[in-house]
Amino acid sequence: MKYSILSEGDEEPMDPVRKNEFDSEACGSIAPKAKPCPRPKPGEAAGGCSFDGAQITLLPIMDAAHLVHGPIACAGNSWESRGTLSSGPSLSQYGFATDLTDSDIIFGGEKKLKDSIDYIAERFAPPAIFVYSTCVTALIGEDMDAVCRAAAERIGIPVIPVNSPGFVGSKNLGNRLAGDALLQYVIGTGEPEPMSPLGVNLIGEYNIAGEMWDIEKLMNSAGITVTSRITGDARYKEITYAHRAKVNMVVCSRALLGLAKEMESRYSIPYFEGSFYGAKETTYSLRQMAFLMNDREMERRVDRLTEREEARLSQDLRPYRKLLKGKRAVLYTGGVKSWSVISALKELGVQVVGVGTNKSTEDDVRRIADRVGDDTEYIPEGGASRIIKTVRERKADIMIAGGRNMYVAMKEQIPFIDINQERHKAYAGYEGLLRLAKELTYSLANPIWKLAASPAPWDKEAPPYDR
Amino acid sequence: MTVNRRKKPASVNPMKIGQSLGAVLALQGCYRAMPLIHGSQGCSAFPKALLTRHFREPIAVQTSALQEMDVIFDANRNLEEALNLVLSKHRPDIIGIIGTELTDVAGVDYQNMLKTYKRERNMRGGLAFSVVLPDFRGSLESGFSSTVEAMIDEMIQQVGHRGSRSVNTRQITLLPGSFLTPADVMELKEIISSFGFEVIALPDISTSLSGHLLTGFSPLTRGGVPLDSMLQSLQSGLTIAIGGSMERPARRLHNALGTPYKVFEGAMGLKASDELLHFLHQISGEPVPLRYCWQRENLLDSMLDAHFQFAGMSALTALEPDHLYSVSGWLEELGVEQKALISSFETPLIAGMEREVWVGDLDDAEVLGKGADLWISNSHGIAGAQRIEAAFMPAGFPVWNELGAYMSVSVGYRGAMEWSNKAGNLLMQREAGHRESSVRHR
Repeated sequence: MKYSILSEGDEEPMDPVRKNEFDSEACGSIAPKAKPCPRPKPGEAAGGCSFDGAQITLLPIMDAAHLVHGPIACAGNSWESRGTLSSGPSLSQYGFATDLTDSDIIFGGEKKLKDSIDYIAERFAPPAIFVYSTCVTALIGEDMDAVCRAAAERIGIPVIPVNSPGFVGSKNLGNRLAGDALLQYVIGTGEPEPMSPLGVNLIGEYNIAGEMWDIEKLMNSAGITVTSRITGDARYKEITYAHRAKVNMVVCSRALLGLAKEMESRYSIPYFEGSFYGAKETTYSLRQMAFLMNDREMERRVDRLTEREEARLSQDLRPYRKLLKGKRAVLYTGGVKSWSVISALKELGVQVVGVGTNKSTEDDVRRIADRVGDDTEYIPEGGASRIIKTVRERKADIMIAGGRNMYVAMKEQIPFIDINQERHKAYAGYEGLLRLAKELTYSLANPIWKLAASPAPWDKEAPPYDR
Repeated sequence: MTVNRRKKPASVNPMKIGQSLGAVLALQGCYRAMPLIHGSQGCSAFPKALLTRHFREPIAVQTSALQEMDVIFDANRNLEEALNLVLSKHRPDIIGIIGTELTDVAGVDYQNMLKTYKRERNMRGGLAFSVVLPDFRGSLESGFSSTVEAMIDEMIQQVGHRGSRSVNTRQITLLPGSFLTPADVMELKEIISSFGFEVIALPDISTSLSGHLLTGFSPLTRGGVPLDSMLQSLQSGLTIAIGGSMERPARRLHNALGTPYKVFEGAMGLKASDELLHFLHQISGEPVPLRYCWQRENLLDSMLDAHFQFAGMSALTALEPDHLYSVSGWLEELGVEQKALISSFETPLIAGMEREVWVGDLDDAEVLGKGADLWISNSHGIAGAQRIEAAFMPAGFPVWNELGAYMSVSVGYRGAMEWSNKAGNLLMQREAGHRESSVRHR
């Protein structure tokens, strides 16, 4: 079958990045109210680049090949660093790179890119190849779009250029650009099996630590099917027919809200923003799905399911709630997790006394405000030292943040829970909340905190020469 | 022998690590230092994440956070801004500015900018240097050694030519290669000092990345060799370099100050340890401490115990060049067949090896090492080792599937013994697994 990577009538390749256009949009919404993504501060910048962001979004398409066009380190330093899990194919866990050398930079790397695409297509026979630009290939003006287009025609599988070199901006902008690539080259290019039931697209759920599987199990037991996973544990093909879904659920709004909005206007698919952190949010999300599917029977099933699950959960949570009640936490994470995890913690009786807002949209901040009291400190930016300060000042018992801050917390001997993409524990859904409760308890109750704080016996004694 | 390459257009499952990461690692071994990567945000975010994952410690690094327009118009404006901020906020003793492929391709002249900056700010007392490390050349190892060389250069500029040198013959400068763990550096320092020498390791990750409970967060490096010790090292009577890549920095000291140097290319196994201890014995005139005589016997005995395990076994090794050389020497002593040796890039040391070496990636390792019983590489090799059903032994950088990997010792008799036992245990477990699966249940 001859496969065209461009949907019908759409002959334009993906537009190159224009800065002005994106700066205002980078924070996640098509028409932001305010607060464009700030320029990273030299000497004080933290976090990944757009290239990183694009990969975070697209690497969970597990059966596709992901080829990095650039010098080796962009791939070499980053592959296998994300906690997204696969239930089957593992090709996306391979690290592919064109590995440009001095002479490639001087004479151009397009030939190498072409050969690499052919090589990967022949040896691994993937359903599609994603090609990522990097700072250097963008700088020397490689025409990646043309190479990809020609390759797609030659080898008969989609070859998708992802124009998200690191220097265009933040990780979030990269998420967005990846979403744009999906809109332009993938969504709408395929059709589902004729008789298969259609349901919900999960957008911005990357199956970190297998969270997607917990969510899917829940949805299925309420009779809701997942049409496309965009992109946790996804297969390429299912994303091609995402436009046939009845509902879009935006799990991480900061990353891919624009994608949902565009799909609404293009394909009239209603969307909602939701989360699976905490029982309340999970119940709300499931109800919202059923409501937007416009299926009374399904709504009833969801009600029965959520009642049953919530009852069981509150039974299971009882011993942990007792231990966690009144504990204080500082939460430092980005986007949707900033507010949804607050809900989850509140259900456990944990008070959030500080929360990071540096990577949140206006809407996220509003949602945070809805969920926390007045005495919660907002941490707009400032990295590790700022977080530590808040923990100390607010007398927090535990810090909940990403892996990058984990060892900072260890140095300060602050109990810590990893909430970001490198973690190994799934916290979504009812099961996830129970897991979070357990993790918090284990972390707080660990004997190490007492041991680490106690000095060696000879340090306790007064030194002999002091007498 | 020759260095081979498999012909294929793309790199599949790379083991190469960006040079700039090597530079960041080197600077972690200096007290109150700040590596500043001149590139886009990702150029520092990836190394930071990877180093944090391997060492399980906070890592000091900053970036000039270049964006598209900065590269086109004036990248150095960002660097200046970053320098101002880092200097005024953290007051580091040492700043290493690390050029990336981005600044290299764009042709940014930050060396000159740094010179002017230092002159204008009247920067004294600290050490600020720059080093060009694009990722399309070399790997972690070359980035590390180039950075140490640049550091030494700057020290010589600052002090070396000024005044006379009073050589301290009881003091040795140790230049540990990038493949050595914090515990390795510690062990080497102990071995050398047990012969009555003062040792200054340059850099010294053994006191910064080995895990300590200092409280109070600092964005700068904590632990490592302090600046005054670094400058003091210029008075050393001898330089000992571990790993072929450290010869250049050692030669730099020799050329500028006349400090004699000795390079130990291999650092693992009985022979390499013998060579080191014998050398120290000769130059110090001291007897070899009893502890090492004991360790030598322990090692030989454990090799005798383990030789049943290693007999008929084959190994594939995929590591950075110096490390590969070192591990290969150790495998040789165990009598293990060396199925394939794969290096991340070519160095003179590798080219001069008696065995056949391939320059390539972990996909090449999988193809060339088919049938091997033991797979030695960084943690990226886990999947490949599973596919060819070899026992997986993590080594090199990064290792994330094991706790305490950064504290394992590979040098000296103790290191060889630790590694031999570990590899033997892995093979034993694998054998037990096979036996279990071949038992027929009725």
